Amino acid sequence: MANYFNTLPLRAQLAELGKCRFMGLDEFSDGVEALRGKKMVVIGCGAQGLNQGLNLRDSGLDVSYALRDEAIAQQRQSWKNATENGFTVGTYEELLPTADVVLNLTPDKQHTNVVETIMPMMKHGACLSYSHGFNIVEEGMQIRDDITVIMVAPKCPGSEVRAEYVRGFGVPTLIAVHEDNDPNGEGLALAKAYAVGTGGHKAGVLMSSFIAEVKSDLMGEQTILCGMLQTGSLLCFDKMVEEGVDPAYASKLIQYGWETVTEALKYGGVTNMMDRLSNPAKIRAFELSEEMKDIMRPLYQKHQDDIMTGAFSSGMMADWADDDAKLLGWRADTAETAFEKTEAGDMEISEQEYFDNGILMVAMVKAGVELAFETMTAAGIIAESAYYESLHETPLIANTIARKKLYEMNATISDTAEYGCYLYNHACVPLLADFMTGITAADIGRGLAVADTGVDNARLIEVNEAIRSHPVEAIGSVLRGHMADMKRIV
Amino acid sequence: MIRLDALSVDFDERFQLHDVDWTIQPGQHWLVTGANGSGKSALAAVLAGDGDHLSGTLSGVPDRVALVSYERQAELIAAERRKDDADILDVISEGTPVAEIIEDGCEDLELAQTLVDTLGLRSLMGRSFRKLSTGETRKVMLIRALTSRADLLVLDEPFDGLDHDSLTWLQGHLSELAGTTPMVIVLNRFDECPDFITHVAYVDDGHLSLCVERADEQAYAELYQLLHLKTSDLEIPAADPAAQLPALDPEVPLVRLTGATVRYSENLVFEGLDWTIEPNQSWQLSGPNGSGKTCLLQLITGDHPQCYVNDINVFGYQRGTGESIWEIKQFIGYVSTALQWEYTVSTGLRNVIISGFYDSIGLYTKSSDTEKAIADEWLALLGMSDRADEPFNRLSYGDQRLVLIARAMVKHPPLLILDEPCLGLDDMNRQLVLALVERICRGSETTVLYVNHREQDRVRGIDNHLALTGHTGN
Repeated sequence: MANYFNTLPLRAQLAELGKCRFMGLDEFSDGVEALRGKKMVVIGCGAQGLNQGLNLRDSGLDVSYALRDEAIAQQRQSWKNATENGFTVGTYEELLPTADVVLNLTPDKQHTNVVETIMPMMKHGACLSYSHGFNIVEEGMQIRDDITVIMVAPKCPGSEVRAEYVRGFGVPTLIAVHEDNDPNGEGLALAKAYAVGTGGHKAGVLMSSFIAEVKSDLMGEQTILCGMLQTGSLLCFDKMVEEGVDPAYASKLIQYGWETVTEALKYGGVTNMMDRLSNPAKIRAFELSEEMKDIMRPLYQKHQDDIMTGAFSSGMMADWADDDAKLLGWRADTAETAFEKTEAGDMEISEQEYFDNGILMVAMVKAGVELAFETMTAAGIIAESAYYESLHETPLIANTIARKKLYEMNATISDTAEYGCYLYNHACVPLLADFMTGITAADIGRGLAVADTGVDNARLIEVNEAIRSHPVEAIGSVLRGHMADMKRIV
Repeated sequence: MIRLDALSVDFDERFQLHDVDWTIQPGQHWLVTGANGSGKSALAAVLAGDGDHLSGTLSGVPDRVALVSYERQAELIAAERRKDDADILDVISEGTPVAEIIEDGCEDLELAQTLVDTLGLRSLMGRSFRKLSTGETRKVMLIRALTSRADLLVLDEPFDGLDHDSLTWLQGHLSELAGTTPMVIVLNRFDECPDFITHVAYVDDGHLSLCVERADEQAYAELYQLLHLKTSDLEIPAADPAAQLPALDPEVPLVRLTGATVRYSENLVFEGLDWTIEPNQSWQLSGPNGSGKTCLLQLITGDHPQCYVNDINVFGYQRGTGESIWEIKQFIGYVSTALQWEYTVSTGLRNVIISGFYDSIGLYTKSSDTEKAIADEWLALLGMSDRADEPFNRLSYGDQRLVLIARAMVKHPPLLILDEPCLGLDDMNRQLVLALVERICRGSETTVLYVNHREQDRVRGIDNHLALTGHTGN
């Protein structure tokens, strides 16, 4: 199989990368009609598979689960999940030949195997749905011409997908149609109905393409979302300990600090996050982030280039073939880091203190978000996609670190994201080594010890202007406006 | 003379009394009353030295104050448990016998013996204190207080859980004591107010908001009225005329379960259950914990995944034939403790009530002026008009329940399911809830399914009864 993206002419590559549009609620007025009475068969009964199935059934759709023979024979957890929830469960042979829509909700790594197994069993004119485009775009999986291929990707963990539906809401969802596999022109209607069935239309749906989803998703998760937070956690912790800050305090400041500062990002972009700092601290964070952006720019460009050429995915697939040797080794190394092994203390840290004493962390988030956004858009990814895969998702990942540090983050994200995160981290830690020698506890751990918080007017105006005029802020304010219309009024 | 001057008191940061001015003159006996969570117990406990004083002064409190309250009872029981837990030797601890608990601090052994007989505790004297029932420990607490020769008796709900004979005796005994010992009694029911009470204090939201002389008949009556809220002129706000539910065929049952069975792995909850609910046929469903009441309700509401593998017809929809749960839920109003736990949003009360139009937890769409007006009528009915924008999650437990009942009824659903609606409510709120439920039952359009733990707690207007017995064994 060849990398699908690389087979396309530049014109088509750019056209696909440029797809991302926030859809209006009125585009979903047909509800689930396109799927009504159709037989939907889910492959994979993990958190996404089970919870999406529960939602689709509660929306009036016909859902059953196809499991491998041994999962049924041994009554494994997936079999129990499906049966105790009152679903029909059968083997691939029993269910797939009559399925109208097959929902492939297995991990990326299994896609080639699963799709090669199920494709011959699928009936003529059926639909195959993905929740991530890696298999199609990077592995170049060829799907039979008569089959419609779509993507419906709720942008939240499976448990959230269910919980929000039960409340009468949903989670933001990305949909796409694989243009090469839309023989009857019904792909979009099916994807929209599927999004309605899971409740996603109430929280906002992005119409994208397989290519835009894969290329922006990979870039975001490797750099700002997971990579930068991992590198930042390790560097900030070691620096604080070196500066004599109580390790338990340092551990806590980082574990909960990412969540706290990116919460400000979620509400009002980089501008609001920076505005949470005092004026002198803001100027300091700005200067640190400018310096880091210059140092890290080539690294972000390398990641984006490797993603575009397919070098990243072929490297990762080689590791798959090697039984994940690198991934597992890096995972074990992470568990041994000083930050990971130092338990957070039980001291009180107020919400504002996370900003005041975490100037470097704020600077890292700003540098990472802006660089990822700049690099993605320079590579032809549309600003909307670049925004969602950088700024928008950063708070979601930061939440996982607050739960159980880097272990939880790497356990929650996909193996693909985890692999990319470690790649980034290994390059970025040495890259910033020299920069870190100029950092003191004033930047991370203790805060600026200034008696006078006065600043130069001209400098402040300059810094504010630079923060506010960054392109990620322009698209961010438009998209956050759309989201607010969709959002709960609570 | 006991004086509280602008006294503010904190109770473990859970609750605060604010700025209390209160004078208890010699010869006065006070009744302290108020709703659940108002602070009436806290005010009484302050006299016994509880709470941290934030500001103001407290003076004139005698040295020996006896307090009987649920909190003190809980502390004593906890202390007994700790003794047991502290046991590191491998012997079975019997705990402190009742007799020893009674003798501890007793100043009048003779009276104690009389009380033990009168309250029927004689046969329990040798038993371990922590093995007593709640009612029995209460009696022990009373005996300790009454025999302590206290200079001030503070009794928080002293009549709760006493049988008729004990109650009559205790009231008589307190009347005798009233000649020599000042008393402060906390009650949330006026009709149990002893005759010797001279003054009533009404506590509201941590403030001592009213002090009334018993002799002032009019003020006393108003306070009574306040406590019983507006139960007499309850008017249920109408439904939204712009949001008519689809018409139901009056000949078709609202609910029909045939051979309903719920099972998890090897664990059978119930099986072969047939049940039909006709329109306007209100039901009471009761059964002990674990008998499957909630499972059964969830089969009806569509919240139980096994509703798809049972033969269930609700509102004319045969389950599992392409209907969505929102089509089912539009016909149902639902209140339960579980819903209250899940309703963790910080939205205001008006929005919580409006969310009943959409069957959602939280509100995700802009509401109409009519919907807002109807929600405000409900708030007025509940006496919460001035709290429309207060965050729901800051309400007391009982107030949350009232708001959720309003949310369930706001669209006038054909079926209203009340799953233990009085659980955890005080007398006043119970009365309000029950009056509301009876009113709804009397109206012809809504069929009520009332679920409670105890079969004997019947609701007027509900004539049909289903009792789940629960499986034993597996």
